[in-house]
Amino acid sequence: MKSTEKDEKKDEKKEETTQEEVKKEPPTPLAEIKGNFVLIDRAVSTLEPRFTHRVLRTLTTLVKKIDEGIIRNAIEEAYPKDSATKATLLSWIPLSASGDVEMQVDSAKPASITTEPVPEIDIYLRLLVIHQLLKSKENVPKAKELSVETVQKMQALNRRSLDSIAAKVWYALERAFEINGDLAEARPLFLAAQRTAALRHDDDTQASLINRLLRSYLAYSLYDQADKLVSKTTFPVSAGNPQYARYHYYLGRIKAVQLNYSDAHTNLQQAIRRAPPATVAPGFYQAVHKLFVVVELLMGDIPDRGIFRHPVLEKPLKGYFEIVKAVRTGSLSQFQQTVSKHAALFQADKTHTLITRLRQNVIKTGIRRLSLAYSLISLKDICVKLHLDSEEDAEYIVGKAIRDGVIDGRLIHEDGWMACGGAGGVKRGYGSEVAEIFSRRIGYCLELHNQSVKAMRYPLNAHRKELADAEGAREREKELAKEIQEGDLDDEDLGGEF
Amino acid sequence: MAQNQLKNLYNDLKRSFEAKPSDLKRCGTLLSKLKIGLIETGLLTPQGEHNVDDLVVARDILEIGAIWSIRTRDVPSFDRYFSQLQTFYTDYGSVLPPSKNEYPIRGLNLIRLLTQNRIADFHTTLESLPIPAEAIADNQFISHPVNLEQWLMEGSYSKVWNARERAPVEEYKYFVDSLMGTIRNEIASCEEAAYESLPLKDASTLLFFSNQSELLTFAQQRGWQVDLSKSLITFATKGEEQVEIPKEKLISSSLAYARELEQIV
Repeated sequence: MKSTEKDEKKDEKKEETTQEEVKKEPPTPLAEIKGNFVLIDRAVSTLEPRFTHRVLRTLTTLVKKIDEGIIRNAIEEAYPKDSATKATLLSWIPLSASGDVEMQVDSAKPASITTEPVPEIDIYLRLLVIHQLLKSKENVPKAKELSVETVQKMQALNRRSLDSIAAKVWYALERAFEINGDLAEARPLFLAAQRTAALRHDDDTQASLINRLLRSYLAYSLYDQADKLVSKTTFPVSAGNPQYARYHYYLGRIKAVQLNYSDAHTNLQQAIRRAPPATVAPGFYQAVHKLFVVVELLMGDIPDRGIFRHPVLEKPLKGYFEIVKAVRTGSLSQFQQTVSKHAALFQADKTHTLITRLRQNVIKTGIRRLSLAYSLISLKDICVKLHLDSEEDAEYIVGKAIRDGVIDGRLIHEDGWMACGGAGGVKRGYGSEVAEIFSRRIGYCLELHNQSVKAMRYPLNAHRKELADAEGAREREKELAKEIQEGDLDDEDLGGEF
Repeated sequence: MAQNQLKNLYNDLKRSFEAKPSDLKRCGTLLSKLKIGLIETGLLTPQGEHNVDDLVVARDILEIGAIWSIRTRDVPSFDRYFSQLQTFYTDYGSVLPPSKNEYPIRGLNLIRLLTQNRIADFHTTLESLPIPAEAIADNQFISHPVNLEQWLMEGSYSKVWNARERAPVEEYKYFVDSLMGTIRNEIASCEEAAYESLPLKDASTLLFFSNQSELLTFAQQRGWQVDLSKSLITFATKGEEQVEIPKEKLISSSLAYARELEQIV
């Protein structure tokens, strides 16, 4: 036991030192890939998925840096000279002339590996190749083909150490299908894989696949199916933050369409919290905030103004800011104008139907403002001020507002007036509503705390040290007891000590 | 059942459906026969590749079935036909030529959801329509229920009432009638809250009653006090509602906080 412990410690140390080196001078992409091979190898041999996670974390930045030549070299080095897998892998890479030859000369010497690498490395390389293929438009069909083949290979291999890489491959597959414009075709593939993943308790892949499916349903506006999928599956608790963020975003979307705004609000809040920082993933951050603003408006709240000043959000949310202004002032005409002005934007964001639902909120705010400003106002004036079509409508609308508790007042039909409860008549207590909001906020804080506790990582084998300490203490105690027993009668000894 | 026989039945159905007035009873018997035929040929819920003409026939039969259900006032049956039609509209939408009945039936489905007060379903269905949002206003079959929903939500009940006459298809009226019942109740509850008293005449215009006796029975149902000599309805003013403290809820949430806090400390 002790020797392995030491080994691991050594490993840790080595890692730290290599990491420090990494920090000192950014390695070439090729070196980075090679470093990743070592990490994956270690992950497989120690059954510790942490190392693979570390490899995958750098994936996006790495993909941006590499080109065909680098991948080619990496493949050359990873496999023995006349490996069949190598040949098939290389055949996927489009030929490019840039610096290919000279780099090969560079790496010709150390390429003396004789054994086939672990399949995880193979899949990792394939993942890199797919991402590389996705970079240019004409290679997308090829990427699609390769990703489908890779997925089949993964499923045939069925190795648990492959799971986290597999999740990324699914993502790449989705990208390939989506860019190609036939996302619907990939759905049966996802569904079948999701079933297998659930049966194998393959949490990483499952989380990734549920998100893929939701995305594909929502892309085709199949909210019904998406909702059913959500109710029939359980999202794995151990899923990573990015997957959770996506999942919450999709849930928020579904809930908002179903008019369940408070749930949508909670989900979107979680999505924002779990999302990567705004500068890293601005697209997601913006998309979530757009929906968040609309949902908040639909709930009758006015979003925080600070959101619209955020450097990442300021520009894309401009249209939404104008909507917020219109809703806040309760001006129906301004609202209508803004909606038609930014219609294309809202269509693209798929928030148009949600925004048209805001119409009634605008009217309500308008009436509310009037009821606060006037103690007696004729229906005709309400009509003019709120740009309603007829007095008759105004009467019904005001009646509904009174019933729904938006305003406190009375209608006097004979004179066509709306009388609003005087200054004293307005009752605003701290009722159950306040308690509810309060408890919602507390719930949010508590969940945040619990999740942060769960997300903490403890040093490996720390408890063993404690155990050893405890054992030592127990032994000492035993010895002491023994001594006491032996020297039971030796009172002088004991007394001498005092 | 042979393919030929199916064809004959289909033609028969078409004839009796298009006859004016259509022979509803005969349609019903033909439909059930045809459905058995469709099941035998695997066209009721088609999967995979099929002959386009066959699919079109199957779709026509189901569409007639859906409209027939409305005419016979059988809403659950409409529901079944509509869900069977979904396959043809979404999965085979790219293969089949568009049907002229598709949007009327989709619109009918929307109104049905509205009358049953399934607003969440209404919006989900609306969201999943295959037409872009700005085209909704141009599509009279869809814009009708969409407008109805909007007016209902904001409280423009008179617009709903007036739109009753402007239904794009005859079948819409069946649902609009049942919608009126809901609206009346809505208006009545608004009036109870908004007025202290209301002259009988005005009440009947507000509630869209054409004669007083209808109003009086309605008032009786809602328990309004009617003063016939003054021809005035007085609404019982509800005293200050006792605000109930949700004790159980407060206790349970306080306990939950205590538990969580204990974990933290």
